[in-house]
Amino acid sequence: MKDVNEQLSAIVDNEFIDEKLIDELLINKDKQDQFCRYHLIGDVMRGDVTDQFINFDISQQVMAEIEKPAKTAPVAEFDSSTATALQKGENNVISFVKRFGQYAIAASVAGVVVLASLVTSEPAFENNSVGLEVLKTVPMGAANPVSLQTTKKQSQLEVKKHNDRLEALLNDHQLQLQTQP
Amino acid sequence: MKLIVYFKTLITGVLILIAGAAFSVQATEMSNDQAVKEDNLTAIEYLQFMQTAYKNLNYEILYLNNLKNTVEPKQLLHGVINQEEIAYFRYLNGAMRESLQYLQKISYFEQGSQPYTLQSTRNQSVFANIANFNYEKGLESYEYIILGKGRIAGKTAMAIRMISKDQYRYSYIIWVDLDTHLPLRLDTINNSNIILDQIMVVSLKVSEQVNPWLESLSNQKLPELFHLSQTSNLQASLWQVDWLPAGFNIVKDDQHKLVMYKNEPVSYIMLNDGIVSVSIYISAKKTTSEQQKTIQRGATVLYTDQKNNFEINVIGEIPVATAKRLIESISIVE
Repeated sequence: MKDVNEQLSAIVDNEFIDEKLIDELLINKDKQDQFCRYHLIGDVMRGDVTDQFINFDISQQVMAEIEKPAKTAPVAEFDSSTATALQKGENNVISFVKRFGQYAIAASVAGVVVLASLVTSEPAFENNSVGLEVLKTVPMGAANPVSLQTTKKQSQLEVKKHNDRLEALLNDHQLQLQTQP
Repeated sequence: MKLIVYFKTLITGVLILIAGAAFSVQATEMSNDQAVKEDNLTAIEYLQFMQTAYKNLNYEILYLNNLKNTVEPKQLLHGVINQEEIAYFRYLNGAMRESLQYLQKISYFEQGSQPYTLQSTRNQSVFANIANFNYEKGLESYEYIILGKGRIAGKTAMAIRMISKDQYRYSYIIWVDLDTHLPLRLDTINNSNIILDQIMVVSLKVSEQVNPWLESLSNQKLPELFHLSQTSNLQASLWQVDWLPAGFNIVKDDQHKLVMYKNEPVSYIMLNDGIVSVSIYISAKKTTSEQQKTIQRGATVLYTDQKNNFEINVIGEIPVATAKRLIESISIVE
């Protein structure tokens, strides 16, 4: 069946003409419908089809597909069936476009990252010296948080303070490395 | 009789085959020898070729940083645009962390924080320290020995060991790609031959042309430049180090504030031997209680000690013994 579909699709694209299939097409109603759909898909993708036309085709499909008295909003059904109806024929095209698209996106996203970072609003830090907040974040490759083994006598707070300070020292060391002459 | 003749031809045939095979083996060995001869460089020549390659080629490397049990995959793109080096770096896992170094400026972009730019004349990329080292001058403190060939990232590499002549610095093993001469692996080892830190390339791509993305980055507007002079008053530290390990020089001597910790004022001295940089912080005594003195992470040590009413912290990729001896030798300038 799939094979036949492919051949139909090929006929639509003027790529393949098998007389047997064309004969069959003339007799078989199902095949004719399918042929029509393929043509429609082609038209949709080329963008030379009016909205009305799509709706017409899909409404038929929807009617055929949902004969049960479903209370769901018909509009919603329309959307999903559009997707399924188009998916088959589109598959090849889509993946191809995506592959090209992704390359372009990868490059442009990088550009955006740089730009977006530039326009991010200034975070509200409570620091006396303006412009230094950013340095709270350690330059690349800096040390991990420091942890110390301590005797029980020392209070938790004192240990934390000590650790914070050591971390600040490590960060400052990293910063000094960046700007060393 | 007929049979004997038959056997004779058979045996000569086999012999010819064997000889042929042996000959072809010899031939391949010879061509290998020739290849080696072309590349028959001394250890220091390999290292110097490596420096040139690292600075002048257009390449992309993916590498891992092994620190104890954690592995951090990273990417470095390097190119030369109008005779100027450009380097883009990023972490491949976790939050986005990137940097771009071009025209004596380095910019940092990190997810969730404001990007910033620093004035930075030194190359900050992964192998920069070994790529900027003066190996001729380094002969005073290191010996260079060819260890032999190895295979890194699918490429044949020459392993060169850089052995410290004293116990005050670490030794290194550097793997240099025979083809491009780019560095492929760097191990930092202590004098018990334990690997403290390891950088290993897993993928290397070299191209004629500079990466188009680097080219577009080079035209990018950078985040605001942050001047470090805002935090330091450029006065000398008023402290002196009476002993320095051979090859080390003082490259910074100032007083500044710890912006990341209550703007605490510290006196600061930086030492450098071309490979590693060591920071010495002198500050007022913080705690009276006994603290752990040594914190080691990979090759980096943070050593703390107290002297009279002062606390001294030494940070750098040096053995603890060096840190101890440095602290002992620190005194106030009279």
